[in-house]
Amino acid sequence: MKLIPSVLDLDWSEIDTRVTRFIKDYFDKSKTKGIVVSLSGGIDSCTVAVLSALAIGGDKVVGLMLPEKETYNAQDVKHARLVAEKFGFKTEMIDITSTLEAFYKSIPIFDPSDGICKGNIKARTRMIYVYYYANRFKMLVCGSSDKSETMMGYFTKWGDIAADISPIMDLYKTQVRKLAHHIGVPKEIIAKPSSPTLWPGQLAEKELGIKYEQLDLILYGIEHFLKTEEIAKQLNVEKELIDKLKHRWLSTEHKRRTLLTAKIEYRTVGADFRLTRNPY
Amino acid sequence: MKEKIKLALAQISCKQANKTENIKKIEKIVTKAKSQAAELVIFPELSLTGYVVRDQIYELAETIPGPSTNILENIARKTKTHIVFGMPEVSEKTHATLYNTAVLVGPKGFIGKYRKMYLPTHSVFEEKRYFRPGYQTVAFDTELGKIGLIICYDIFFPEVSRLTRLEGAQLIVCISASPAVRRMFFETLTVARAMENAAFLAYVNLVGIEDGLQFWGGSRLIGPQGKILAKAKYDEEDLVIGEVDYADIRPVEAFVPTLKDIRPELFDKLKESAEKL
Repeated sequence: MKLIPSVLDLDWSEIDTRVTRFIKDYFDKSKTKGIVVSLSGGIDSCTVAVLSALAIGGDKVVGLMLPEKETYNAQDVKHARLVAEKFGFKTEMIDITSTLEAFYKSIPIFDPSDGICKGNIKARTRMIYVYYYANRFKMLVCGSSDKSETMMGYFTKWGDIAADISPIMDLYKTQVRKLAHHIGVPKEIIAKPSSPTLWPGQLAEKELGIKYEQLDLILYGIEHFLKTEEIAKQLNVEKELIDKLKHRWLSTEHKRRTLLTAKIEYRTVGADFRLTRNPY
Repeated sequence: MKEKIKLALAQISCKQANKTENIKKIEKIVTKAKSQAAELVIFPELSLTGYVVRDQIYELAETIPGPSTNILENIARKTKTHIVFGMPEVSEKTHATLYNTAVLVGPKGFIGKYRKMYLPTHSVFEEKRYFRPGYQTVAFDTELGKIGLIICYDIFFPEVSRLTRLEGAQLIVCISASPAVRRMFFETLTVARAMENAAFLAYVNLVGIEDGLQFWGGSRLIGPQGKILAKAKYDEEDLVIGEVDYADIRPVEAFVPTLKDIRPELFDKLKESAEKL
């Protein structure tokens, strides 16, 4: 197997069909009334909102925009509205600044200089809003995590990752870009640098320390059981870089799994109670 | 035995863990296929229960013959058709020893069953966790010809189809629950198994989505020369009728005599090498 960019190429028409079919099937079986997406205006959430609208009709999809003053970006808001208008789904905007400030004030040990802890509050607060809408209007929460970020553990546990379905979680970031292009997400949304917008100026590639084009090929190699040395040689990168990414991948598995408990009885939740994912 | 038969590739989606609903669907489709002159109606692997049922399988499994096969036998009697379908089987001698089984019933009742030999337990598959493998290939003498049964992943192992053919099967029925990522393998292997054995091969795959697994359908009837004689749609439920003309086997078997040229001594060598792998 050669680790070249074309290995990530898929038949985007077929992927579009498969993902929208997946969303529609789960939606139909769940007997819910719609889908709510936390819509940041970034590529992942815009793509998922569009796929949801294509799958079940825009009239049943709500893009919930949840900006706050520290990271407010007028361009993101504009992009979210642009895509909603183009694909005919609804948006609602709630400024969550006051909620966040109330949280910060009420935590006696709150340290504003700890950006990660503070940023996680933002992601989890957005989750609460999105799930409130889902509960209130009997809707599904559609998550927008992609495979690159999920494998890297680059998300907030119980925050942005929390959802009922995650339709693009098996697509790397560079693949999401291609799918987005295929389904007609506007170019300016696809082209702008990704950011979880947890603090001002946060950029995913800067934080991960690698460009997605390279990261995705490394992760693809890992996915296809290639050894560290082989990936490093093929991509002409230091073995230490692959080791570092592999360590990050393995050490964040706790963020991707259901709760772990001590094995005591016959069958245990999350371990060997093996049931179907019954959405109805 | 008939020289020509019409069979139906009954490509359905199933309700997970809902035998009543699935039997209703099977009955409806058998009736429809019969109205199109089908004499044999073939349903996918585990079509009685759906493929992804996980621990519920212990409650769903039945002996064969048993309650569900009795119902299917009655449908076969009533419609005067032969039916192949898949179900989880529990051994009569134990309480939780299960098999992934294909069943053949006909207008005169139960004809026979085949227990899947190769149980995929990798990637998203966990069949060995639940099932015990079968140990016997089958080929049943019926009024529709000598029919062999295999199941899904068995097709990756040419010896299963070959043994089935050597037992006399002229029509190999392969029922399947194959997700979309495996499509290329099956599209190639189904043709190869038909050609190398100079036999007809009817492949019937599941459709629908079960726990995120999207089954790709694409059921087909392949002739001994490798020609696709009938093909169902991808990804959607479909019912397609195809004709098997057993007279087509002889010219192919004479032209590329793969059965005449079998070298039994190589199988001893194969066994030796496989044991040392």
